Amino acid sequence: MISITRTRMVAVLIVGAVLATTAPSHGGSPSLADRVIEHKLANGMTVLMVERHQAPIVSLNMTFGVGGVNEQVGQTGLAHLYEHMAFKGTRTVGTRDYEKEQAVLAELTRVGTELEQREREESARGHMEGKAPALSQPVQQLQRRFKELQDKAGEYVVGNEMALLYQRHGGVGLNASTGKDITRYVISLPANRLPLWAALESDRMAHPVLREFYKERGVVMEERRLRTDDSPNGLLYETFTSTAFQAHQYGVPTIGWGSDILSLTPAAAEAFFKTYYGPNNATVAIVGDIDPKEVIALIERTFGKIPASPPLQTLVTDEPPQRGERRVEIEFDAEPALAIGYHKPAIGHPDDFVFDVIDEVLTEGVTSRLYSTLVRDKRLAASVLSDTNYPGVRAPNLFVIAATPLAPHTTTEVETAIYEELERLRTEPISAKEFERVLNGLDADLVRSLRSNSGLASQLAFYHTVAGSWRYVVNARDRIAAVTPADVQRVAAQYLIKSNRTVGVLVKKVPEKKMADAGEVMQ
Amino acid sequence: MRRVIREACLVKREAKRGIVMSRSAGRMSFVVMVVLCLMQAAMGLAADLAPNDPRTMRFSTVDFNPPDADRVVLENGMVVYLLEDHELPLVTVNATLRTGSWLDPAEKVGLAGMSGAVMRTGGSVRMSPEEVDEELEQVSATVSIGMAKESGSAVLDVLKKDLKRGLQIFADLLREPAFEESRVDLAKLQALEGIRRRQDSPGSIVGREFAKLLYGGTHPSARETTVRSIESMTREDLVAFHRHTVHPNGIILGVTGDFEKASMLALLREVFGDWARGNVPDVAIPAVPEPDFKVGAVRFVNKDTSQTHLRVGHLTIKETDPDYVAVAIANDILGGSSFRSRLFNDVRTKRGLAYSVGSGLRASVYDQGVWLMRAETKLSSTQEVVNRFVANMERMRNEPVTDLELEEAKEAYVNSFVFSFTSASSIVSRLMDLEYDRLPKDWLQQIRDKVVKLTKEDIQRAAKAHFNPERLRILAVGSGEALSKVLAGFGDVKEITLVPES
Repeated sequence: MISITRTRMVAVLIVGAVLATTAPSHGGSPSLADRVIEHKLANGMTVLMVERHQAPIVSLNMTFGVGGVNEQVGQTGLAHLYEHMAFKGTRTVGTRDYEKEQAVLAELTRVGTELEQREREESARGHMEGKAPALSQPVQQLQRRFKELQDKAGEYVVGNEMALLYQRHGGVGLNASTGKDITRYVISLPANRLPLWAALESDRMAHPVLREFYKERGVVMEERRLRTDDSPNGLLYETFTSTAFQAHQYGVPTIGWGSDILSLTPAAAEAFFKTYYGPNNATVAIVGDIDPKEVIALIERTFGKIPASPPLQTLVTDEPPQRGERRVEIEFDAEPALAIGYHKPAIGHPDDFVFDVIDEVLTEGVTSRLYSTLVRDKRLAASVLSDTNYPGVRAPNLFVIAATPLAPHTTTEVETAIYEELERLRTEPISAKEFERVLNGLDADLVRSLRSNSGLASQLAFYHTVAGSWRYVVNARDRIAAVTPADVQRVAAQYLIKSNRTVGVLVKKVPEKKMADAGEVMQ
Repeated sequence: MRRVIREACLVKREAKRGIVMSRSAGRMSFVVMVVLCLMQAAMGLAADLAPNDPRTMRFSTVDFNPPDADRVVLENGMVVYLLEDHELPLVTVNATLRTGSWLDPAEKVGLAGMSGAVMRTGGSVRMSPEEVDEELEQVSATVSIGMAKESGSAVLDVLKKDLKRGLQIFADLLREPAFEESRVDLAKLQALEGIRRRQDSPGSIVGREFAKLLYGGTHPSARETTVRSIESMTREDLVAFHRHTVHPNGIILGVTGDFEKASMLALLREVFGDWARGNVPDVAIPAVPEPDFKVGAVRFVNKDTSQTHLRVGHLTIKETDPDYVAVAIANDILGGSSFRSRLFNDVRTKRGLAYSVGSGLRASVYDQGVWLMRAETKLSSTQEVVNRFVANMERMRNEPVTDLELEEAKEAYVNSFVFSFTSASSIVSRLMDLEYDRLPKDWLQQIRDKVVKLTKEDIQRAAKAHFNPERLRILAVGSGEALSKVLAGFGDVKEITLVPES
């Protein structure tokens, strides 16, 4: 197949084991716990460091405790759009003349916001009158003015200058991602380029400029089409998740609903930044060929000057208990797939560790229960996987089992077979051998996690942000080791029950036009 | 704890592999460091600029001498690279096999892939499939075996304490796989399900159909499994494929991690030493006949989507072509370098028309490569994006790149070089790749030296010679009727009708 070295995608929704494990090293080398150096700035920013001197390189992972959960109704997708905007530069980077640019951007924002407000009003009026509205004179005038200002603003832009500086200095893996609970900015650099990173990142934490806002919204709309609208799995998970969560923000797609994305304003993005991007909401993990003392001095000199933001308010919405099975179908021109989710507690809850064991026993590896039964022996499914913390970790979430049937078997047959295995979890204790396999896997994963600077930086910053401390990585292993077979039976009986589950089914539907062409074909 | 289903949005698509040239690795040479310093000096640094302005910061090139691996040839011809790395109690054994799907018979496309899969899952003469899986997973060891077009690969990843047992199982699966019948059947069912599902997403369709459009449907670089080819495969076919193509003298082994060289070699001789040589096939992939360009160059697949998935490009040179480095850097500036590239800036940043946009160059030493531009964009902007592709390609041909662009491309290349040596295993796998392709050990130094010496004129010459408007093939997957109208200006538009696979 054609593969393109730089532009190819890894995966959208379902990827192989992403990361995350636990456990102190039981091997000979110094354990992770002994290698992490933690430093907290007066403004609240946390720095986590691990020295690895194998090669003169360093990986950086800046993680903010903000994500889709922090959005308001009507502004979904804002956390993610802001993450895109954070690549647009600052008052010095990305501009030819900020003084002049600033005035044009302010006017562009004013005109753009007014234009969109009027367009919405006229469109609503048109709907009421049952006809497509002709654009009024004022709107047309605003459109022209908007276009002029956009072109004028463009003259001041040095496109993608921040990314360009990173690349020019040998940076690799520059990216950012937005999830439900966190937003992260990552890069790996030759180790002596740390001052470049500190200058760029402290600048973007202190003085970001939201230039090219309206164009970037268009980019995000294309991203939504790619990830969700045209992707059978993307659409399945969006619908499944919003069915499982009816109150909590976890039910809202991180990319945002299309109409919300198109209504986001620069003012909303600016306010979002001011609320959530303070140093007190940031953790940076730095792993590689570093001298921690020098790194601390550098970070104090740069980030240390940024004032803390006001403390964040606690989110108030809890998902009410589910009272009865929810089922939802998604029709798509694609082969069938199945997702089953059970509500369960958040990270750190005693039962969450039991789910870690259940997850491993059910789907980790080809000897796992669901793989060996559904895929290998009964041959009902082509694939099966599970996830213990979907779609976020910080708030109560879902234990998800997902599978694709192997034709001619149906999602119904696969679903029934999965429930039989869940029933087995309730009725018979897991074996000592299975439990040993789980623990061996966790221990080995911890050792392996130290192989990659960027992987380790990712884990440390992740757990520090969502579990309160990077030490979660170390402590969780012992919590998991303490799980008993009786715990597994109890948790299965308590959570893995019909009334607590949501089932999403991807149903094949061939577009009508093609059906007509093909006569009576298809299932 | 493992997060499997991910719902995170990235600012850009993750690249699967490295930089401009997938082989852009190699040892840091003194020569290049000197040249780079000169280059930086020539840029004229203003002394009065603020020291904390990231736009004007300068750093020396990192000084790094990566460790070198040992190379040993066993008596039966197996080549072994060894590089100790005692940081973690882990050992990785990586084998490259001189086989691959280029060997698939025309009526049994998929044979190599199926053979590789069942070598792993079908047990060995000593152990049943279930015993293999149980023993490996109980100690968190992994063995994976797979076949690519031009080579096969087998990897063992094991904790040091389980090395001996892991290596024995690994060797058994390589040497004497049992291809148990039930696992052959399972692999066939899985392959058939894969066929059934491969038209599900537009991204999968566009990649495969574009390859067929360029190479032709029967070429090893484009052909696909069919229900018939999979159903016709028997256990005997798999056994024969293994027997005829997997031999010790066709294997290059790379061993990295926490071991001691002498005892590792003894262990390797114990498990592989008495494996007899065989006839190793030499990769030979047929050239593609120059297509008839009078035939329309625009094809579309009608799929009910909101975006058009676009691929625009043509076949190109091999990696060993004298122009390769110049074409690679031209491609880097045009669309290969993500944020830095012209296509990204033009189509995404300035116009907001695509999330994923760029160009790619893929070449090997055996086969004609592919050069292409790609994007996904809503139906209504399809035409504009194709226009931008053509305009940017023409600009590469008609005017030299700017001094700044070339400088940036060179610096990005040289400064990120160190990432080719992040681990013992990355150092060793590069050596294995070079030996597999029979390229000189200093091949990478040669490439790097060429990159540093490139001029704007070299880039333009390469673009003129190798980005050919008259050879462009356009493939679009999207909503049919409207799409064919939108594409009409770019040539003779024809529909590719997908055969239902379920």
